[in-house]
Amino acid sequence: MKTVKGNQPEWRELPEIPAGGVGGVGSGGDGGVPGDGPVSGDALAEVFVKTLEAIGGSAYVVSGFDRIATILRELYPRVGRVVTGCPELEGFGELARSYADPHELEDVGLAVLGAHFGVAENGACWITEDRMIERALPFIAQNLVLVIKKKDVVANMHVAYERIGGMDGGYGFATFIAGPSKTADIEQSLVLGAHGPRSMTVFLVDEEMSDAGFY
Amino acid sequence: MKQDHAGKRGHAVKEDHAALADTFNKDEARVNWHDETLWWIRQKRDKAAHTIPEWELLRETASRIKDNVLSNLGGYLEQFEAAATANGVTVHWAADAAEHNAIVLSLLRRHGVDKMVKSKSMLTEECHLNEFLKEQGIEVIDTDLGERVVQLAEEPPSHIVLPCIHKKKEEIGEIFHEHLGTPAGNADPQFLTHAARLHLREKFLTRRAALTGVNFAVAETGEFVVCTNEGNADMGAHLADVHIACMGIEKIVPRREHLGVFLRLLTRSATGQPITTYSSHFKKPRLGKEMHIVLVDNGRSVHLGRKEFRNSLKCIRCAACFNTCPVYRRSGGHSYHTAVAGPIGSILAPNLDREKYADLPFASTLCGSCSNVCPVKIDIHEQLYKWRQVLVQSGHAPLGKKAAMKTMTWVLSNPSVYRGAGKMGRWFMLNAPFTVNNGMNPWYKQRDMPPVPKQSFGEWYKKNKK
Repeated sequence: MKTVKGNQPEWRELPEIPAGGVGGVGSGGDGGVPGDGPVSGDALAEVFVKTLEAIGGSAYVVSGFDRIATILRELYPRVGRVVTGCPELEGFGELARSYADPHELEDVGLAVLGAHFGVAENGACWITEDRMIERALPFIAQNLVLVIKKKDVVANMHVAYERIGGMDGGYGFATFIAGPSKTADIEQSLVLGAHGPRSMTVFLVDEEMSDAGFY
Repeated sequence: MKQDHAGKRGHAVKEDHAALADTFNKDEARVNWHDETLWWIRQKRDKAAHTIPEWELLRETASRIKDNVLSNLGGYLEQFEAAATANGVTVHWAADAAEHNAIVLSLLRRHGVDKMVKSKSMLTEECHLNEFLKEQGIEVIDTDLGERVVQLAEEPPSHIVLPCIHKKKEEIGEIFHEHLGTPAGNADPQFLTHAARLHLREKFLTRRAALTGVNFAVAETGEFVVCTNEGNADMGAHLADVHIACMGIEKIVPRREHLGVFLRLLTRSATGQPITTYSSHFKKPRLGKEMHIVLVDNGRSVHLGRKEFRNSLKCIRCAACFNTCPVYRRSGGHSYHTAVAGPIGSILAPNLDREKYADLPFASTLCGSCSNVCPVKIDIHEQLYKWRQVLVQSGHAPLGKKAAMKTMTWVLSNPSVYRGAGKMGRWFMLNAPFTVNNGMNPWYKQRDMPPVPKQSFGEWYKKNKK
């Protein structure tokens, strides 16, 4: 430590990061979030979906949990054990309790958890430990579903951290999850499902949406 | 213990970059494939960077945040230690590789652990932790797929982000056939990845200790961030009783909001993805479990005092400089015989051992492409050039190069000798090409020379100036 302090150069100021992030409000790149001016929630959600699909995930805009259960039954007819942190989905899967040992989750086929918000520029969702039930769950499950509100999509990572800073920072563990677990270590061939979930789906709940068209 | 980064682990290194590159260059088809694969990744990086209009501003911001970090590294480390300790994490300090390895060993011993899973950590490569623990009877399983492949092959990683980028899928199929019992001749990436998933899942579920690297540590909050695509760091850490995270002291960022800048840059620069699948923020241990952070100096504090070279401590290990480097792409990671290869490794390694790594700053064309892609704007090629001067002055330059430089100085400072030498050279190349085109002259390796001019520019000018 003495060497560190003796050798560090003279003080250099930290750069300012403006509100909305480096590059201004709404900057985010991928898929063309407009560079300036206010960006509508719909536009952000659209970019989020496009980005997530490009990295191997999938996304659905839905009216609510009834619709989510219907879609999940179609997507995962024989997925085995389902664990969920969403009380609305009780009956569809086992409502998560606290587990004495995370190893009990070894055979989970599908985990359905509520996340806090999504990030348009990279398709990631922020989820804190209290919503994971067990830290291991979003990683050990064979398939992962995250649920956010459609209006909870932010443009970029700067806005994401502004939001995290405004929330309860008391988490012991939290993570951004962007798509399914993957690897390209063998000759750069992309394979989904390295150690964690083989599939990752995000539901964006739009409460004002009508289900009429679906039935 | 010495580790041979050029080939099988455990043998002493004698050959320098040029000799090791020669070995790699024997298989021309493989060199071309290696070259093209890495260039393809560089192109993906460009595509990702170009989607962000404020990319250059982001790089500048990241570079300036790192300037600030280096200018107050001691203060931020103390702040980090206090915050992490308040979070219930145990913080350890290691002055060098030996201390780091001893701390990890003592933690494992205290818990009676003799088997551990480990996610990617170039720092533990730098400290040769795996070899050390093996000698102590502790089994380490590398859980990143690429690292597991090279571990089974008893080789070090050849790239910090893509550890087995030098291996063909057929070779990986053979390794898995031998060690994991997959059918002989099956080289399908999907199939092999699935086999590794099953093999490693059993390890995750049965190991009680997990070691991870650290991408960023936040002074303000005491949390640290680990980025993976596979989820292997999380699978290990969340299922273990003891989580040990090892980091170089330069990985500190002042505030959590700064992560926004670095996470936007890191993966776009590395592989062209917008972000890694998982960017996990570890702050407190699980109830009843332990979390340890080992802060490692190992030469970094000395490097901080070298005005011309301290910028290299800004590195966030994205490997963009590897993928763009014409020398790395055609000589392979093992030719650098150090844990962190490529252009950035060539300016970091001489700091650790000037004697052993004196060849590395010469393994570059100084084209500057590395500096252009660096997300934190390290002046990599300028530092390579400066290292050359330092190494020659301190007598560490390769012998042949020293003799050649002395001769050149004499020739270039004597006009008549210079004219004579030119004439002689042209005569020999025309009339006795074997005297120059032989094993002694590296300029003739893998290339032919253009036809020899009949006269020098000086002679031509004298004749035509009227």
